[in-house]
Amino acid sequence: MHVRTIARFNGLLILFLGLSMALPLAVSIASGDGGARALSAALAVTAASGLVVFLATRNREKPDPVLNHRDGAVIVVTGWVLAGFFGSLPYIFSGSIPGFTDACFESISGFTTTGASILTDIEAVPAGILLWRSQTQWLGGMGIIVLSIAILPYLGVGGMQLYKAEIPSPVVDKLKPRISDTAKALWKIYLVITAIQILFLILGHMNLFEAVCHTFATMPTGGFSPKNASIAHYGNAYFDIVITVFMLIAGINFSLHYKALKGNPTVFYKDPECRVFLIIAGLFISMTAIDIHGTVYTSLSESFRHAAFQVGSILTTTGFVTQDYEKWPSFSQHILLLCMFLGGMAGSTGGGLKIMRIILLVKHGYKEIFGIIHPHAVTSVKLGGKPVSDEVIRSIWGFFILYLGLFVLATLSMSLLGLDFVSAFGSVIACISNVGPGFGIVGPIENYMGIPLIGKWVLMFCMLLGRLEIYTLLVLIIPEFWRK
Amino acid sequence: MKIIIVGAGEVGFNLAQKLSEEGKNVVVVEKAPERLKRVDEELDVQSFHGSGTSPSVLKEAGIREADMLVAATDSDEVNLISCLLAKNLNPYILKVARVRNQEYIKEKSLFGEEMLGVDQVINPESLMVESIVRLLEVPEADEIIDFVGGKVRLIGVTIPTTSPFVNRRLMDAGTAGADILVGAVARGDEVIIPRGTDKLKAGDLVYLVVKPDNMRKAFKTFGIEEKPMKRVVIVGADQAGGSLAAALDKMKISTKIIEKDVERCTSLAESLDRVIVIHGDGTDKDLLIEENISDVDVLVSLTGDEERNILISLLAKGLGAKRTITRIGKLSYIPIVSAIGVSTLVSPRLCAIRAILQHIRRGKIISVAPLKGEHAEAIEAEALETSDIVNTPLSDIKFPPGVIVGAIVRGDEIIIPKGNSMVMPHDHLIIFSIRDSLSRLEKLLTVKLEYF
Repeated sequence: MHVRTIARFNGLLILFLGLSMALPLAVSIASGDGGARALSAALAVTAASGLVVFLATRNREKPDPVLNHRDGAVIVVTGWVLAGFFGSLPYIFSGSIPGFTDACFESISGFTTTGASILTDIEAVPAGILLWRSQTQWLGGMGIIVLSIAILPYLGVGGMQLYKAEIPSPVVDKLKPRISDTAKALWKIYLVITAIQILFLILGHMNLFEAVCHTFATMPTGGFSPKNASIAHYGNAYFDIVITVFMLIAGINFSLHYKALKGNPTVFYKDPECRVFLIIAGLFISMTAIDIHGTVYTSLSESFRHAAFQVGSILTTTGFVTQDYEKWPSFSQHILLLCMFLGGMAGSTGGGLKIMRIILLVKHGYKEIFGIIHPHAVTSVKLGGKPVSDEVIRSIWGFFILYLGLFVLATLSMSLLGLDFVSAFGSVIACISNVGPGFGIVGPIENYMGIPLIGKWVLMFCMLLGRLEIYTLLVLIIPEFWRK
Repeated sequence: MKIIIVGAGEVGFNLAQKLSEEGKNVVVVEKAPERLKRVDEELDVQSFHGSGTSPSVLKEAGIREADMLVAATDSDEVNLISCLLAKNLNPYILKVARVRNQEYIKEKSLFGEEMLGVDQVINPESLMVESIVRLLEVPEADEIIDFVGGKVRLIGVTIPTTSPFVNRRLMDAGTAGADILVGAVARGDEVIIPRGTDKLKAGDLVYLVVKPDNMRKAFKTFGIEEKPMKRVVIVGADQAGGSLAAALDKMKISTKIIEKDVERCTSLAESLDRVIVIHGDGTDKDLLIEENISDVDVLVSLTGDEERNILISLLAKGLGAKRTITRIGKLSYIPIVSAIGVSTLVSPRLCAIRAILQHIRRGKIISVAPLKGEHAEAIEAEALETSDIVNTPLSDIKFPPGVIVGAIVRGDEIIIPKGNSMVMPHDHLIIFSIRDSLSRLEKLLTVKLEYF
């Protein structure tokens, strides 16, 4: 393990994170919302801590070693935990969220793009702090480590280890020969789509600040809103539609967006995962719309609008709300629950199990049944005509088992802390899949304030598990990892 | 510059590594998943699973935007088909192919513009034989690298205890005559780019820049004994062994070649005049003693089995052979094998890698030769009119640390530079550089205009 390099990398990461607080600070100063003092203090503390570590670990004699898998996992996990900690400083310093646990919860919920909030009166919080809250999601969406790889010039081979540890996909797709160029390409696409969404929201007369905040929470499929009632605040069909479309875009693998913008728009249709994703989205939206039509809403267009928004929001694990879906019929609620497990596409900013894993699990399951009928048949699991290696399938099964196992364990501990049945699993699935709103006391119109202290830490752990796709985080907890 | 490498074997992998470290955009196409995995984990390159003979895989790998294709698989046919496909998909792409079969190589028109359009054919075995012949021509040197088409040579010699240079500062000992320069010193694991105040020690491997005619003089001034080169034994008579024997036959060196396979022995005996062909096993101690191994100047073990070659060389050394040259395949063996006393190593793969790298670097940097342990390199570069180093006294140029200009070659003239020497446009320079300074040196040599 290369402790010096790990510390150095983290130092740089924190330094960048600190500097990125300049944008919310500027907003605070401009609007005179009273958050400027807290933000400048947070900026100074964060950037200075990063700089000190970065300079202290400098060593001119020895070049930076090539990072291995272990270093990659350690850097990614420590980077995320540190980002969560330093990201909470603006909340604590401004007094918007005075408690350490609550501030960390809000910050980790932000970076992991969960969007679970403990704030009851969001609109009382200074604008700068609200922008920071959305910005943590935006940074976490494409990945703070991937961003570092794009910015830092010296990571070559080591960058790949970091990239693999952070990217939410069972298979790693390099867009360019160099990992830093791949990271740059992804961030560029991310920036471009972000800019387009801001433009669309402004065209609908949303003010710039709210447009930026909502976009910063849509593109990473985060779900923080600067309004107490989330998107329901506007009750505007145009915003609902724009946000629904961009949530679905964010739930698609960004490599596909890259290829499409490179002049190949058929990739969306040709990619088997994307096809399944769009079919699932379409199917679930129609089924929900039919289910809620007549029972909750009278007009068909209204039913479709709310079904599309809610299914899109939950399937991509964004977590914006326009309607209290707990008042919907049981069938619709079950579809939304299923959406929480499924999640977006691999390589998107969405959470959950990911569509690609589901496809491969189903195909592998079919292969096993096929094997019973034809015991001597030689078959292989294929995706888009290409065989998928057994290694990938094994890792997906492992992931699936661990996901369910950890979900059960976390649900048990939440119920031990006194949560009712629905709230216990509702809060855990909403956090481990990085959705945000769950069921019960953490339902769409509630928040996480009522969760006991220990429960909040359990949920924070779940959020990190979900964002780092379990293996990266779990491997650090295994004693074997630390054995020399 | 985007380079597609087909095949991630020893040659492909090492090329990909060197090129990506030098800042090129490298894409590797490989059929075997386990090799691909190694590439993914250890290198910063893009990889594609599939055969280099599949147009769709090549298209996916971006052959249309690529500047160069290097076909480096073990199969000649795959390499040639890859080049053909590449030509078809992208007529402007440069193509380098590794080809071993002599019959293909003899068909010169096959590689011409009308047919495959291969820009350079690399034959690892014949490159290796060439380097062995060079070593045998100058038995005093441990390593010989030709620069500027053979006008300048870089020779690696081991300083004996009796050398007048031992423990004296280089500047006190005086330059070893106007035409000889000490470019680099390899001592143990390190490579030092020496200054006038550095001292040489016995056992150092010293790299000298000399004209080929001056080699004898250089050996004399450094107190290196002339070694006779009269008797050579070759073990293993596959293609490389056979062509080496033929070359030695022409040089009139008394040569014996030991081969296990009877048929191969017979066909060799028929084609060679002087060379004695012996049927037997090179690891057979009695056979080696019977053939007077203790009187042999050099034993070259060239069988296809590298572990066997190492054993044969060790055995021959033990039995009194003065020197051995050993063929190995795995590059990772080089440091280990050197440590157990098998010093001079040749590898067809390393030869192929060097040749391909030289081809890729055509232009600014003409040729690069890694020195022992690869911590330092000797570089041949052409001074371009627009580069910073032209028309300025050398002492005023800010070279990165660990960089020394070893020689300036202007037409037929070789100048061993002093502080006030100036580089003229189109001069060829021989530069020694430690590896860490390489990229900065490359920048210094680059044409300024390229930035605009």
